[in-house]
Amino acid sequence: MEPGLLLQLLINGLALGVIYALIAMGLALIFGVLEIVNFAHGELYMLAAMAAYFVTSDLHTGYWVSIVLVTAGGFCLGVVLYELLLAPVAGRSFERSILLTLGLSMVLQNGAVFLLTTTPRMEITRYSYSTLVVGDLRLPVLRLNALGLALSAFAILYFVLHRTRSGKAMRGVAQNRAAALMVGIDPRAAARLAVAIGVGLSGLAGAALAPVYSVHPAMGFAFVFKAFAIIIIGGLGNVSGAALAAVMLGVLESLAGGFLPPAFVDALAFVLMILVLLLRPQGLFGRGVRV
Amino acid sequence: MTGNRAGAGPHAPVPRRGGHGPVNGRKLRAAAVMAGLATLAMLPFWVGTPYALELGITAALFAVLSTGLNLVYGYTGLLSFAQVGFFGIGGYASALLAVDAGWPMFAGALAGGLLATMFGILIGYTSLRLSRHAFAIVSLSFALLCLIVARDWVSLTRGPMGVPGLMAPTLAVRGLGDSDLARLDLNRPADFYGLMLAYAAIALALVHRLVGSRIGRAFVAIKLNQPVAESQGIDPLRHRLLAIGLSALLTGIAGGLYVFHLTITDPSVFDFYYTETMLIMVIIGGPGSFWGVLTASLLFSAVPDLLRFTTDLRMVLYGAVLIAAMLVFPGGFGGWIEARRAARSRRRMPA
Repeated sequence: MEPGLLLQLLINGLALGVIYALIAMGLALIFGVLEIVNFAHGELYMLAAMAAYFVTSDLHTGYWVSIVLVTAGGFCLGVVLYELLLAPVAGRSFERSILLTLGLSMVLQNGAVFLLTTTPRMEITRYSYSTLVVGDLRLPVLRLNALGLALSAFAILYFVLHRTRSGKAMRGVAQNRAAALMVGIDPRAAARLAVAIGVGLSGLAGAALAPVYSVHPAMGFAFVFKAFAIIIIGGLGNVSGAALAAVMLGVLESLAGGFLPPAFVDALAFVLMILVLLLRPQGLFGRGVRV
Repeated sequence: MTGNRAGAGPHAPVPRRGGHGPVNGRKLRAAAVMAGLATLAMLPFWVGTPYALELGITAALFAVLSTGLNLVYGYTGLLSFAQVGFFGIGGYASALLAVDAGWPMFAGALAGGLLATMFGILIGYTSLRLSRHAFAIVSLSFALLCLIVARDWVSLTRGPMGVPGLMAPTLAVRGLGDSDLARLDLNRPADFYGLMLAYAAIALALVHRLVGSRIGRAFVAIKLNQPVAESQGIDPLRHRLLAIGLSALLTGIAGGLYVFHLTITDPSVFDFYYTETMLIMVIIGGPGSFWGVLTASLLFSAVPDLLRFTTDLRMVLYGAVLIAAMLVFPGGFGGWIEARRAARSRRRMPA
């Protein structure tokens, strides 16, 4: 295979992988701090993409404004979501929180079908048809933007988790809830922030991808399936593990897509997850609570 | 449905805290179950409209599906999203075997059930090495993978077009002559209803027998407190795999039979709609409550349809019910009744 195609596939895979990472990191963060697997995560991503579509098409704001608005909206929605629904079940039985978020995803997805029908919509922005050409490589600007946005989000998240008081509090709660309480960390505040960041990240993903893929109510479903596999591969609750696993999966899928039929590409995540569970159940990058 | 065999074995259930003695209560309940079953079996003769029969078939199907989920989740404590995968695998296996290899329906359905069991054990064995949290996630991924394979692996599953043209067999009952009554044409809704009812009765009787037995109590022990169960010499993995395997078998066979009523198997047999409906039935009926889940599955098969909700709206409503139930009502009706019964017997105890 010529190196040009390989490089192209690699870059496509990288762009895909960081988007997986945006969604999977939110999931991993929420699991790490609250021990809740958020089944509505894909639907929150869908909601964000819908919101981005309507913001640009009806409010006629530009692409960048829509991204800022939707990400901030996701952050606020996360706070509301935590206070209304997740706080009452956090720390209770694991199944209860899963079923609660599953109910939420049913309401969001079917509600979106009911109100907006299943017709796919396409967000048109001023970058929609622009492509950056470097030698043989053709890079759609919107994908590059998504890549850049995701990378800056990683950097900010890393900074928050490791350098700020509230970030350290989140990591503390994830590592040992009882000890965190004992040294005076408020677990509710840490959990609220974790959900807000998690939903904010999926908001960013939705807004960045709305102009890349078409927007429709079932769009979150396929994505979250990959995201679940990713958080198992990376180690349940391990945020950086999830990010690395996501990028790996994106690159692998893109490379595999060059040779294999699409069913195999989609099955890749599942096969990898089963392999990891068989050979290294704690995840590729170590067990559990290392947020 | 056929609780008449309950407690027939050496591990009879604990006598109920009721007015009459245990034997009396059990006989009474058995009689009630038989009467209910007879009523259901006679249904086509009273309300033989296609619509009523369709509801009946759906109700019998969901009674099996939700009891299968109840076995895994309610009794054993493993939240499984894979049930719809087992259902669809059963459907695809029996359809493909019938169309490509000329297998009869019953053999195909059984093969489908066994295939589903294999997959169930596979995902159970791999994910339970980690935790039951991992099981929930892996089972969900598995169900979604089934959908993707059914849609995209065209050479195996024929893709979105599915496997059409399934013909259910006609069974002759020997010794009754050549009358219409002696012939069961399973392409007729009334006769298929009879088949599904019979299958549901057998499957539910099996589950009822199992959960009332020593093994069933081991399931509950593992769910309630795994370390204590282990200290009593109960192997959690083996018991859990047994529950998953049996549940997959019953669900897979149900799928293998049901597609012959649909006359087509296509990727929609893996629709998440089935999962959500099963979950609602188990949650509202009360996880771990045999009769509660059965009642809920009959109610939820019939009522929303009679109220003429569209599917989207129904799922929105189910989602809202699920959220509300998890916030205030996690034990379902079965759990509520159990709590009341416990409170009553506490009051009756001398202080």
